[in-house]
Amino acid sequence: MLNSFQHQQFAHCESGVVSTLLTHYGVKISEPMAFGITNSLTFFYFPLVKLNGLPLIAYREIPKNIIKNIEKRLGVKVYKKQYKDMISANNELTELVTNQNKLVGLQTSVYYLPYMPKDMRFHFNAHNLLVYGKEDGEYFISDPVFEETVKCKEKELTIARFAKGVFAPKGFLYYPTQIPEKIDFEKQIKKAIIKNAKSMTTPFPYAGIKGMKKLASSIGKLQNNTDERYVKNYLTHIVRMQEEIGTGGGGFRFLYSAFLQEAMEYNLNKEKLSKASELITESGDILREFALQCVQSAKNIERLDTTQIVKTLVEASTIEEEAFKVLKTI
Amino acid sequence: MYKKMKKLEIPNEQNSTLDGKQKVMYAPNQNGEFERFNYGSNVEEYATKLAVKEYEILKEQALKDIKENISSPIRYYMYEHRMDLSTLASVTGFFQFRVKRHLKAKHFKNLNNNILQKYADAFQIELKELKEFKQC
Repeated sequence: MLNSFQHQQFAHCESGVVSTLLTHYGVKISEPMAFGITNSLTFFYFPLVKLNGLPLIAYREIPKNIIKNIEKRLGVKVYKKQYKDMISANNELTELVTNQNKLVGLQTSVYYLPYMPKDMRFHFNAHNLLVYGKEDGEYFISDPVFEETVKCKEKELTIARFAKGVFAPKGFLYYPTQIPEKIDFEKQIKKAIIKNAKSMTTPFPYAGIKGMKKLASSIGKLQNNTDERYVKNYLTHIVRMQEEIGTGGGGFRFLYSAFLQEAMEYNLNKEKLSKASELITESGDILREFALQCVQSAKNIERLDTTQIVKTLVEASTIEEEAFKVLKTI
Repeated sequence: MYKKMKKLEIPNEQNSTLDGKQKVMYAPNQNGEFERFNYGSNVEEYATKLAVKEYEILKEQALKDIKENISSPIRYYMYEHRMDLSTLASVTGFFQFRVKRHLKAKHFKNLNNNILQKYADAFQIELKELKEFKQC
């Protein structure tokens, strides 16, 4: 077991795990840096893909984006493995965290983790956590969204690693094996920012700024929907995608703003970074207001007036448009 | 060194869905530098609770339909485990159209133990609990 391991709580699981892993293996990367340098901010609204009958909405890139892109950006080598069977997956994990004293990242389902609060247990398969030891058939876990470390029985963790469905983890395990001596942060941050700015300003109508506007117009259409239960679920579903599976009130926006602020320590255009960071913080704040309005409307569904909700989301999208136009030319 | 950011309010409200725990978010501190803060949001609480409640409603409906011999117990357990059709299909390995049929009482009656066992495994219950369903 790793005695030196220091648990930290983060805003988002994947960026938190990658930040801790890289820092542990020798290159200090903050959570915002892990998130930003892998161009992970996004917006998706795919009405054709349904989750429990509700459209897919995402405020950040698809799961594993950070793990995959961090290799490319930093030139680190990451051992990544998926498994066909539970036994070899569990054996390798045990070997790594006991005999080899390694800190490893895992992808798991949220639903099957017994230490998760009951109300939070949904079938979401792209949760990430760290394992730093094992004793008496129990793993020591550093779950980045928890305040303290937790323990989990071998069997239960294995079930969570092999949950089926969308984003099925298939036991996915990962840890860095090689850290380059020199990393050109300046160049990589710049690349990442431009890439992110391009994806946010894509002409594709269901992604980025356009996706936000598309979602806004779909909310407007709820006005004439007579199925109150559906409308309530729709509105709070948006909030859940934004806040809960996301983090802390437009949380991904704040995470990205923090990254832009950190980027100012490098030799890049500080004015543009500072301007964009402010704008995206503002958008995050407006998105919190938007979430509040969604919830208030769900509470008073009989008197639903979507005008204001739509307006608020459009406002956030306009601000992000401005921010990413600035960032495109960094 | 940083330009003064507009101060963000950190909500410090109850969120009973987290069992007394708190999550963190990033926000600028007094010097305008981003930092992690603990927070609690009743906006999140409401959204989570409504999603949980939706499964309760679906369960109630399923129980009613089972009583009336329309639905099979599989429907009840599916919602009990917060699954939808596509999740249950991928857990059991059956095609969605088959699962859809198995949710109906008239098809459920004809299912053999092999098929039922797959559902029992998916719900981590005994085969008996599925065959001799007595929640009604």
